[in-house]
Amino acid sequence: MHEYSMTTQIVENVLKEAERHEAKRVVEVHLIMGNLTFLNPEQVRFWYKVLTKGTVMEKSRLRIEMKEGSIKCRRCGYEGNFSYEDDPLYHVPIPTLLCPRCRNIVEIVEGKECTIKNVKMVV
Amino acid sequence: MRSDVKDVIRAEEGEIYDVELDVNILRANERLAEENRKMLRKYGVRAIDVMGSIGSGKTSLIEKMIVTLKDRYRIAVFKGDLTTTIDAEMIAKHGVESVPINTGKECHLDANLVSKALRRVDLSRFDLLFIENVGNLICPAEFPLGSEKRIVVVSVTEGPYMVIKHPFIFMNADIVAVNKIDLAEAMGVDVNKLKRDVRSINPKSVPVPTNCRSGEGVSEVVKALGL
Repeated sequence: MHEYSMTTQIVENVLKEAERHEAKRVVEVHLIMGNLTFLNPEQVRFWYKVLTKGTVMEKSRLRIEMKEGSIKCRRCGYEGNFSYEDDPLYHVPIPTLLCPRCRNIVEIVEGKECTIKNVKMVV
Repeated sequence: MRSDVKDVIRAEEGEIYDVELDVNILRANERLAEENRKMLRKYGVRAIDVMGSIGSGKTSLIEKMIVTLKDRYRIAVFKGDLTTTIDAEMIAKHGVESVPINTGKECHLDANLVSKALRRVDLSRFDLLFIENVGNLICPAEFPLGSEKRIVVVSVTEGPYMVIKHPFIFMNADIVAVNKIDLAEAMGVDVNKLKRDVRSINPKSVPVPTNCRSGEGVSEVVKALGL
């Protein structure tokens, strides 16, 4: 959800940076999207193409790198991918904040970001 | 960042600059939420988020809590909704200051809208604030507002899978009101299974069965909130 407003902010940020460097055109934008954001990369690409038209970002490449959600347990130090428990009744993997090692509650350390990592531009 | 060094060394025409930005777009809301939290703390106002599905009983729960608490707290309510002020008026009839926040076409409240509302009231007049979000189990999870505690309200009339289908909002919930328990038998929904689903996703979360029409369970919610 919210791909449109998110992509608008991405484009605005990159255009501001391109203007700062007096870029002639933007070649590539490297975006890191966490799996735990509710953002669909296909829709982001769609809005990117629409919103960059007529700007120095037109025809630039949008490189989306998806990041897995990762968790950390403060009690036992467990670090790893997001944990899922299999519900015996529904046979559906349910994401959980339970540490798979010591059953303490973990904190989410990665997966909730939408970061413009770097921008390649021609000056 | 080395971009200032690059500015000094002139690039040739047509050379490609690789500029490292490291800008997390989602941080903007988190930063505003932190500012909201600081402002609320400065005035000694405890803010409680009330989220939940459409028609689950968020407004009813807030109303019942107001009736219980208005002798002990000076209460204000922010009510996020798409266009109407119906619910805000319902709450205002209890003599409690109510600020409707029309979210327009947006499907959730964000820290920016809450920040605007905070500036519109005289916070020195209150010590308890309920922020009722738009009916939605998906989007509000992504947008912290700056509150101290978060309640999620679901009801048995939404069926048995509502909790496991929306795990992320329950990961953010301190308390989960499982409402309309008087209808559980008619719906064939097992309230205890819903409570167990909540705890599997977030063991820290406190599930409380409620009937916001009769008031059953509301005092447990109030106690779980530490009020």
